[in-house]
Amino acid sequence: MLSELWSEVRYRARALFRRGEMERELDAELRHHLEREAEKYEREGVPPEEARRRARRAFGRVSRAKEAARAARGTAFLESVVRDVRVAARRWRSRPAFAALVVAILALGIGATSGIFSLVDGILLRPLPYPRPDRLVRLRQAYPAIGLDTWALSDQNVAMYRDEVRGLASFAAWGRRGMTLERDGRPRRLEVARVTGDFFRVLGVDPALGRAFGRSEDTPGQPARVAVLSSGLWKSEFGGRASVVGSTIDLDGRPTRVLGVMPPGFAYPGPETQAWVPLGLDPTDRYGWYLTGVGRLAPGATLDEVRRDSRAAMWRWTKTMPGLFHGVKPADAGITTLVTPVRDAITGDAKRPLEVLQAAVLLILLIAVADIALLFANRAARRGREMAMQRALGATGGRIARQLLTESLVLALAGGGLGIVLAFGLVHVATHTAAVSLPRLSDVGVSWRVVAFTFATSVAAGLGFGLAPVATLLRRRPTASLAGAGRDEAGAATRRLNGALIATQLALAAVLLISAGLALRSFRNLTGTRLGFEPEGVSMVALPLPAARYDDDTSVVRTTSEIARRVRAVPGVSEAAISWRLPFGGNYNTDGYVVEGRPPPSGTGVETQTAQLAVGPGYFRTLGIPLLYGRDFDGRDRPGAAPVTIVDRALASRYWKGADALGQRIQLTGDTTTWFTIVGVVGSVRDESPAVAPMPHAYFPFALAPTRRAMLTVRTEGKPGPVLAAVRRAVSAVEPGIPLDDVRPLTDWVGRSLDTQRIIELLLGAFALLAALLASVGIYGVMSLYVTDRRREFGVRLAIGAEPRGLVRMVLGQGMTLAAVGVGAGLVGALLASRWLGSLLYGVSPTDPLTYGALAAALLAVAAGSAWLPARRAARSDPMAALRTD
Amino acid sequence: MTGGRLDLPQGTLDLLILKALSLEPMHGWGISERLHAVSRETLEIPQGSLYPALHRLERKGWVEARWGTSENNRRARFYELTAAGRKQLARETEQWERLTGAVRLVLEMG
Repeated sequence: MLSELWSEVRYRARALFRRGEMERELDAELRHHLEREAEKYEREGVPPEEARRRARRAFGRVSRAKEAARAARGTAFLESVVRDVRVAARRWRSRPAFAALVVAILALGIGATSGIFSLVDGILLRPLPYPRPDRLVRLRQAYPAIGLDTWALSDQNVAMYRDEVRGLASFAAWGRRGMTLERDGRPRRLEVARVTGDFFRVLGVDPALGRAFGRSEDTPGQPARVAVLSSGLWKSEFGGRASVVGSTIDLDGRPTRVLGVMPPGFAYPGPETQAWVPLGLDPTDRYGWYLTGVGRLAPGATLDEVRRDSRAAMWRWTKTMPGLFHGVKPADAGITTLVTPVRDAITGDAKRPLEVLQAAVLLILLIAVADIALLFANRAARRGREMAMQRALGATGGRIARQLLTESLVLALAGGGLGIVLAFGLVHVATHTAAVSLPRLSDVGVSWRVVAFTFATSVAAGLGFGLAPVATLLRRRPTASLAGAGRDEAGAATRRLNGALIATQLALAAVLLISAGLALRSFRNLTGTRLGFEPEGVSMVALPLPAARYDDDTSVVRTTSEIARRVRAVPGVSEAAISWRLPFGGNYNTDGYVVEGRPPPSGTGVETQTAQLAVGPGYFRTLGIPLLYGRDFDGRDRPGAAPVTIVDRALASRYWKGADALGQRIQLTGDTTTWFTIVGVVGSVRDESPAVAPMPHAYFPFALAPTRRAMLTVRTEGKPGPVLAAVRRAVSAVEPGIPLDDVRPLTDWVGRSLDTQRIIELLLGAFALLAALLASVGIYGVMSLYVTDRRREFGVRLAIGAEPRGLVRMVLGQGMTLAAVGVGAGLVGALLASRWLGSLLYGVSPTDPLTYGALAAALLAVAAGSAWLPARRAARSDPMAALRTD
Repeated sequence: MTGGRLDLPQGTLDLLILKALSLEPMHGWGISERLHAVSRETLEIPQGSLYPALHRLERKGWVEARWGTSENNRRARFYELTAAGRKQLARETEQWERLTGAVRLVLEMG
């Protein structure tokens, strides 16, 4: 049985792929038979001519025997398909422009769709690479009454949620930190996550090599000196050697034992994380809010339960801290916990833009499909006579339909194939361009699901385009078409359908164009926003000092001041300064504050938040932040001197006019004993994104609040390259333990906050142009069809003295009526869509009349252009030629 | 016209071809001649339908074809029974005998 099946397969494969050979064999075999038969008769004395005739008669019709033998091969159907495909390919080769247009339209439509859907699939749909990822939640807090929309967790908060919320089976927390890895005297900067002991248990992922650490290593305040490495770091820095596990590395100047290596793809809290170390969670530490919680829901527990229980725990906790909350009622102040599924937390900001892009490519696909339907309808009308002829010659309707379907399927598959190539290109660009900072990019690839989707789309499209003209053709009487009457019979119904398709296309294109226009204007607004500082020409160097040798403030201040002094002396450096952090650097400290002599708003006990950071002398000059009143920090601001602060205009203007702020005093809620005297007022800076309004800032002297993780800011003149090399040498001369692999221009950092937006707006703009282009192809197709259909009528009109210009006006009028209807509907659609764009828009009204008007006009102009070409053709109709076509 | 000649009942051609080939490998014309002769010129084998039948049997793996030299030194396509073909012959022979036996019983009735 099985051997029989195998024989069938082998035989049919041969029949299909070595068809020529089998045909020759069949010929030879039959010839042999006929010769032998004829010889038999000759031997009986029949003359040769007559013998051959008799042999053939005895055999029957040779052609029928051959046909039957071929049928016996069992490949007749496949062969006819191959034949149809050959015929189709020949047909398209003789009409390359049409074929290329259809393939290009399909490839663009399908490519854009598949590419964007691959991104969406990888980023939004594919599960996170952890067991039961849907049970993982991120936990943060909020205290809106004092301006903290998100409020990190303190050590004590973490212990509280871990111990008191029953719905959490396990709970951990993490904070990011840059650390220095020193190997062979070469320091290197690492992105490290400091995590609590339950971290790996919560995520449910074991190291690929070695083991993880647990609670026993997470000793309060004194974490064990152990680390787990990321797969990426293990390969790049340690050559992927298994012997690294158990060895000791130098991390922040301290010997640290490597416990294990995580599997590739483990990227929590982020893909940039290179190592995990225990945090040393200290449940008695109530202040210092710098952690993010991550928990796993207990079996049966719901998100709502956990939200309720964790908020209750938070409210109980505020009662234990009367000093901080001053009798604030947590419910009134809006104090709460924010429990978010980890997936939403990770994809958060990317979700809306991706949805917008997804909607955009779907619109494109619709426009493309409508385009192709129009192109095929147009062709079918022109081929009416040819098909009528085929039918008259005896081709069955089914046969013609099959040929038409094959023709459209060939193009559809070619378009689909090319589309997949485009999709791969798009995904490659998205995942390999440094500028794109979408989350989970390592999880993105062109997936088989998307490929299947693409092929289904192209096959469905092919069948659809093929069938539409078949239906109209088969309805017509062949004689009518042959008589020529059929050509004018495109039919009012078909024409109405075409008109509707065109209007829809234009409406969709208008929605896309206007949405893209609004988004692009937002982007221009963002890039044009004054940041409050001048990032051009400024470079930044992280200056992490080895913890082992810098355990007191004095040594930190001495070394950082020396570095700043030496760097300022480098030729080409115009200014340099030390600070905690830089604008756009993320993680800023905020605190509530109290202004002397001003009772805080009722209920909260403090004013809203102010960003606070310590900066060295020259910081404002280096960054180009204007000093409006008073003085900069200088040598006077040393330990033991009177506490001073410099505030920015965003803070000062709330209470004082101009220089009146100088000499006033403020207090921070974290330190209720010290009053800081304001000695200067500087300009405000936008610190998070150009889209976020400046937050009040209070600056303090670095010498009074030093950190081992300071930043050095350098303003250079001329080409930064050689100057920065000298800066590096100056830094190394003071402290060779500082890794200098991360020196970069501040513009990089500032630009990066807009990169994702830039890419998305670029794509949206490209898609909108594509939509307009495709829609204009549609108009052109329909108007050409209209003109072809009525060529005779135009000819007659011209013959009896009609003005060509009148004809142009008539055809254009026809096209523009459709266009106006479409664009009008598009304006309404865009109004609805713009509301949904919401958060993507900045500084532009969703109903901005300029954008709507200009783009609607542009689209109408494009429509007029595409209708004008066929209109001109109508006017140039040769009356005689038009009449002769019968 | 020829009076004594019979048309083949449906489906028996395969059986006859398999039987003819069970004696020795043969080419198409040879099979046609052999069947004609052995049936004492009673069976009219439609020569044109011989080849589709041979190709069908080849596809099913019951016969194998290879090019060889014929008795008068010409290239011809020889067909040979395979092991599967031999089993099929036995099966079809048995079925044929049951069928003809049954038909005979009915005809001899009363």
